[in-house]
Amino acid sequence: MNRFIFAEPSKCIGCRTCEVACVLSHSGAAGVEALSSASFAPRLRVVKSQEISVPVTCRHCEDAPCVNACPNAAIVYRNNSVQVLQDRCVGCKTCVMACPFGAMDVINVPATKTYAGVTLTHGLKAEAHKCDLCAERELGPACISVCPTKALHVFDRAAMDLTLRRRQERAALEAAGTPSL
Amino acid sequence: MEKVITVCPYCGSGCKINLLVKNGKVVGAEGANGVTNQGELCLKGYYGWDFLNDTKLLTPRLKRPMIRRQRGAELEAVSWDEAIDFAASRLKAIKEKYGPDSIMLTGSSRGTGNESNYVAQKFARAVIGTNNIDCCARVCHGPSVAGLMVTLGNGAMSNSICEIEDTKCILVFGYNAADSHPIVARRILKAKEKGAKIIVCDPRIIETARIADLYLPLKNGSNMALVNAFANVLINENLYKPDFVANYAEGFEEYKAMVAKYTPEYTAEITGLDPQLVREAIRMYAAAPSATILWGMGVTQWGQAVDVVKGLSSLATITGNLARPNVGVGPVRGQNNVQGACDMGALPNTLPGYYYVTDAAAREKFAKAWGVPSIPAEKGYGLTDVPHKIHEGKLKANYIFGEDPLQTEPDLGMMRREFEKLELIIVQDIFMTKTAMVADVIFPATSWGEHENVFSSADRGFQRCYKAIDPPADYDVKHDWEIHSLMATAMGYPMHYNNAQEIWDELRGLCHLYAGATYEKMAGLGYVQWPCETEEDPGTPWLYKGNKFDTPSGKALLFAAEWRAPLEKVDADYPLGLCTVREVGHYSCRSMTGNCSALQTLADEPGFVQIHPDDARKFGIADQSLVWVSSRRGKVITRANVNDRVNAGAVYMTYQWWIGACNELTVDHLDPISKTPEYKYSAVKVEAIADQVWAENHVVEVYGKMKSDMRKAALA
Repeated sequence: MNRFIFAEPSKCIGCRTCEVACVLSHSGAAGVEALSSASFAPRLRVVKSQEISVPVTCRHCEDAPCVNACPNAAIVYRNNSVQVLQDRCVGCKTCVMACPFGAMDVINVPATKTYAGVTLTHGLKAEAHKCDLCAERELGPACISVCPTKALHVFDRAAMDLTLRRRQERAALEAAGTPSL
Repeated sequence: MEKVITVCPYCGSGCKINLLVKNGKVVGAEGANGVTNQGELCLKGYYGWDFLNDTKLLTPRLKRPMIRRQRGAELEAVSWDEAIDFAASRLKAIKEKYGPDSIMLTGSSRGTGNESNYVAQKFARAVIGTNNIDCCARVCHGPSVAGLMVTLGNGAMSNSICEIEDTKCILVFGYNAADSHPIVARRILKAKEKGAKIIVCDPRIIETARIADLYLPLKNGSNMALVNAFANVLINENLYKPDFVANYAEGFEEYKAMVAKYTPEYTAEITGLDPQLVREAIRMYAAAPSATILWGMGVTQWGQAVDVVKGLSSLATITGNLARPNVGVGPVRGQNNVQGACDMGALPNTLPGYYYVTDAAAREKFAKAWGVPSIPAEKGYGLTDVPHKIHEGKLKANYIFGEDPLQTEPDLGMMRREFEKLELIIVQDIFMTKTAMVADVIFPATSWGEHENVFSSADRGFQRCYKAIDPPADYDVKHDWEIHSLMATAMGYPMHYNNAQEIWDELRGLCHLYAGATYEKMAGLGYVQWPCETEEDPGTPWLYKGNKFDTPSGKALLFAAEWRAPLEKVDADYPLGLCTVREVGHYSCRSMTGNCSALQTLADEPGFVQIHPDDARKFGIADQSLVWVSSRRGKVITRANVNDRVNAGAVYMTYQWWIGACNELTVDHLDPISKTPEYKYSAVKVEAIADQVWAENHVVEVYGKMKSDMRKAALA
């Protein structure tokens, strides 16, 4: 089963600490000083409506519409998650249209090329942009570490099984008082 | 990489942080396992430190002393000797010509710490000879201090932040924990998980309302009516505790008579609430084996605020929800050290340790310790008296320490007009601010992170902050307490301290409430809640043990008052009630958070006006468009946030924007006792701007000019 990040709406206070942590986790060596509103593109977005506050992000679907839609096979299943191979992405936005959760975006990032050991900027490169579960981060998804109310969780098969088991046990207890038919 | 323990410089939750220091620079922050935060931080805690690197995103750091030789002249960088001499000689001349009470001073509830507040008020009382010192508690939880001092004898939270999660019912009244204190919001969530009932009284659907068992969307300005209705139901339905009232409270008959007419049915028109909902809510509160009331600015920033605080205190009293763990009254303090500034006596009516200035024995003790013949016995001016006392010709000088009144006080147009009449304005700060821009003298101080100090968190918890870094080598800045000491010495009162601990120990020797709170006890992650009277005393998580209140009679006073409507009325010209609120990522006047990359990335000028979709339709306002908001006092540009969490008829603006500055609009109407402004209700109108391209350019231009003016002034 693909892993995915789940946020409990009942615990979210809408503070957006997760959004900042997400961007910083994908900024390489650049620190907090490099943030700016023009380039701020978190891979999860806190949505607030009258009834709910919750970050929305990629579900790493088992039969992912984005994977199926990509004409260039740039989106793949890898390491129990859905990942984008950026060098294959052409920025066609088909995946954006296919994703029912609004979890995929296409952004332009400055591109660089290296000639004879000299790195030069080389226009822009389109990237399909979505949660990668902080694949490069040893400690796992950064959003989960910073959430002050622990509203965010990463779910893998084991965590899912545990949740299912707890709910089944609760359902069993609730059934205990049922009179015989 | 080194880790240095500090306390977050933003809200009053008292979160312990490890600052990550590399080569003399702060490079990151992580949660430390403090008593209140248990290793967690909110976004200000994690990302609110890079202002230390003088990012100049909003305003530049003050690096050297500056003076303005005459009004209209430019600020000019000078040596410390010259700046102190210039300021002290002028202050002395004003004192001689007009008397000590012509001088106003402030403490600072922000990153500077308790020691420097103690020294600032000592400077006011012993050197200048006035009680004219105040802090921003005046514009925030002043009514909580004034009200609770009378009803219970102690103005602070009766119980601890950690206890919130073990209470069985939380009555949240005018308090948006998610935006003001995320780490307290976390405790509310934990309480809910542990089965507590949550009741929320707020006109906006705040985050806590989403998880509430009962949500009471009361009309703006109806607090007293609702609190009285709660009391009325408790008494009429016999839900209160007669034994507790008989033994430990007084004033019940008058209280009962006052609330007699305030049935939920009678108050329905005032509050807009279904009487049945009001009954269910207070029944839920009364039925809980332990219950806690939390309140914030939604209670205190009204023309009728002290009365409501006393009313809330009375609800806790008659239901016996005091004097034990996991209950109580919780005015959750806003700024990180507003509790501390009050603790240190940066208030016009109390000395350090809450001895009243009218208490002759206390005055004598302090006068003797400070080596002066006497300390003035009359209560001094409060912050919100300042423009009026200038207008009356009574105030001639203002020594402002770590505050920005030309951003944070109500009716800024009036504030600027009155400030112009002052003969001397001294600003002691870390950043160029709107107030520093008009100062005659600027004293640059070390920042949080660059000094050690003690803070008081909202639940009376003393904690130590260690020094993480030195100010950069090219800065010519001093600790706040050093600056006040130099000023004192120049004015003929030799004052010298070698370090913050010397000051702290002097304070402990004078205040029985703090006597046992030693630096050693607070070392590392130590947390000492006052009262802490001896070195063996671990401190006091909850107050009034043995049902003994700190009032003169030892009993809790019950109190209710007739409801009064807000001062300003909405009408055809100004049809909406403006309420000023808080934004989670920014703090106070924003001089610190506005210089933090992450925080200003999330929210920047000209801020927002939150408006209900029905009102937006009525006034032709599109979501995210720039609009004009105006009142009888001013007009500002800001961005519309069409939002169905706010109620129709009211609009909400957060108070830290320098362009979309809501305090250009707010009314200078004060609570008669605490003198706290009615920030929560001013009549305004919102108008669409047809040419949005012009409007966007206008904001960019105004913002750019403001920043470049600040930079030029600071680089003089």
